[in-house]
Amino acid sequence: MRRLARHVGQLAAWTLFLVVIAAFAMGPAFSPVPEGYGELKISMAHLAERVEPCRPLTEEEQTDLPPTRRVTEVCPRGRVPTLVRVRLDGELIIDRRVKAAGWQEDGRAYLLEFEPLPAGHYELELALRDSPREEGYDMQRQFKLALEPGHSALLEIGDGDVALRLPQ
Amino acid sequence: MTTPQAHALPGSARRLLARLEMPLSRAFDGVHNPMHHLGALTIFFFYVALVTGIYLFIFYRTSLEGAWESVEYLTHEQWYAGGILRSLHRYASDAAVITLGLHIVREMIRSRHKGPRWFSWLTGVPLIWIVLWFGISGYWMVWDELAQYVAVGSARLMDWLPIFTDPMSRNFISNEAVSSRLFTLIAFIHLVGLPIIAVLAIWFHLLRVRRPRINPTRKLMLGSLVALLVLSVLVPVYSHPPADLDRVPLSLDIDWFYLAIFPLMSLTSEGFVWLVAGGGTLVLAALPWLPPAKKPPVAEVHLPDCTGCGFCAEDCPYGAIDMVERSDERNFKLEAKVNPDLCVSCGICTGSCPSSSPFRQRRPLTTGIEMPHFTMEDFRLQIDVAADKARGAVLVFGCDHGPRVERVAGPKTHTVSLPCVGMIPPAGIDYAMRSTGYSGVAIAGCEGCDCHHRLGDDFTRQRIERERQPGLRKRVPRERLLTVWMKTGDETRLDQKLTEFGKHLADLSGEEEQTDPQESGRREEVQ
Repeated sequence: MRRLARHVGQLAAWTLFLVVIAAFAMGPAFSPVPEGYGELKISMAHLAERVEPCRPLTEEEQTDLPPTRRVTEVCPRGRVPTLVRVRLDGELIIDRRVKAAGWQEDGRAYLLEFEPLPAGHYELELALRDSPREEGYDMQRQFKLALEPGHSALLEIGDGDVALRLPQ
Repeated sequence: MTTPQAHALPGSARRLLARLEMPLSRAFDGVHNPMHHLGALTIFFFYVALVTGIYLFIFYRTSLEGAWESVEYLTHEQWYAGGILRSLHRYASDAAVITLGLHIVREMIRSRHKGPRWFSWLTGVPLIWIVLWFGISGYWMVWDELAQYVAVGSARLMDWLPIFTDPMSRNFISNEAVSSRLFTLIAFIHLVGLPIIAVLAIWFHLLRVRRPRINPTRKLMLGSLVALLVLSVLVPVYSHPPADLDRVPLSLDIDWFYLAIFPLMSLTSEGFVWLVAGGGTLVLAALPWLPPAKKPPVAEVHLPDCTGCGFCAEDCPYGAIDMVERSDERNFKLEAKVNPDLCVSCGICTGSCPSSSPFRQRRPLTTGIEMPHFTMEDFRLQIDVAADKARGAVLVFGCDHGPRVERVAGPKTHTVSLPCVGMIPPAGIDYAMRSTGYSGVAIAGCEGCDCHHRLGDDFTRQRIERERQPGLRKRVPRERLLTVWMKTGDETRLDQKLTEFGKHLADLSGEEEQTDPQESGRREEVQ
């Protein structure tokens, strides 16, 4: 009788163990975005203008350089931060000034944002300033975004081009 | 009486834990209680995941198109082998998280992370991260919608740290951005890199533990393996639809054991997840010193009594004793030397010292190695103090971490609680029966495989059985010796055992001469 009770106890223990595993190994389900939502990804890898333009070297300056490093112009490494503004149906959803990558801030400016959005039709406006200017924009684009539930649209900002990719 | 270590008696949390574990001890016969083997079970589940993982990798294709398809093939086409092993791989990994979590909580409640044991605790903390990386990298490999969610989530977490110039997440902005080489990399990390790191981390974790129990009992290995196989057959694991970065998964059946951080990130932010993970890790790592505790007294060597036999060094569960070249004039080669940083103050060394004999006439009584807060003189005094009532009474030796023997003290029982029953020198049992006149001796220690100081129960048993030096002398009547192994809080059952033992001793009166001590069978209860 005692032996049977032990076996029943062991069976109960293992069953509880399995129930806990089964309960959390594949669920409860989780929805990364609310029902009826899609997602807009905004990805930027953009090379902005230099902080200071390249400058031709004078003959005297060239002569001072070692023969193997004699160049005709010098370019300061730093790049200006890229100002990115994204509006969705007129509402500003991204307003970021993105520094160029690298210790010398001489690389591309990278940005990646994930925006969950209710499915629907949107007017998407992108404005970008990547030069030392203080006012205005160097690039502006407008797109029509038709987002379906579960779809992930991609606004990709490259060095010279911008594209809105919608799922096929 | 109790030793000056009585402050180490279980607190309410420890008593509650013991009470919760009691039904398991009843069912699994104490020694096989899974709660006593949590660390070893975690390693066993790691082995299961490793072996099943090797089989799965044989069929796994490390390419963008092939990853999901090959896993689907294993799951459906080869369900009888690959499918079951895939499920077993998953469930063993999940089981490891459960046992690991319980192991951490249990060791903390029992204060086995403090003092000299800080090293094992601290080196165990990275293992939590390694186990999580194992799980997360494994989910990448399936390349289904869940893998997509996990991959993007992992990349976003990494991007939050100021490490990468080009965000790692940009590798997952579109299907075209994902390279097949990613799967070669992840497979390498999951199958080669992490296992090597895990084995090294486990080695570090056990570095200061002598005779570590790496494997659970066979019964537990078999039981857990069968249980996981049953689950694998009844609830087979499946994949989500293949990953498509043009879509965002709407509903995912998450493995909450490994992936809970990703929903947390979805609901909060990457920074919050790092705060929880980093802060939690720091708090866990600092726990051995929170709050700072007074260092317990460490074992002391008395050279005039030390013959350099090395038994104490052999028995110390934490390797705190080294045998070094003799520093006095006595004609022995070696002497014991205690490393105070490793000594947990268990007193097992005193029990192993052949000089620990209350029969010796020296006053005060000293021995080769002993605890300053409970010397051999104290030990003998505790036995002698009740000598006037010893005849017909039972001397009960207890452990500060096992059943509380002082609760069963009565007119016919005298109790002595020690830091560990492994501290009892076999000569002390002999002395109690022969010189003091107790009719019987009971030893009530921690339950099998659950000794607070790790090996005290084993060594005590082996010394009584004369399987370990110093052994209990043959002349000691085994039928007058009771060993009981149980948890703290089980004093009612201890009281019952002692009552039965008292009756048994009464029955023995007058029969002693006819009883062969070796054949009569020592009464032993392992609960």
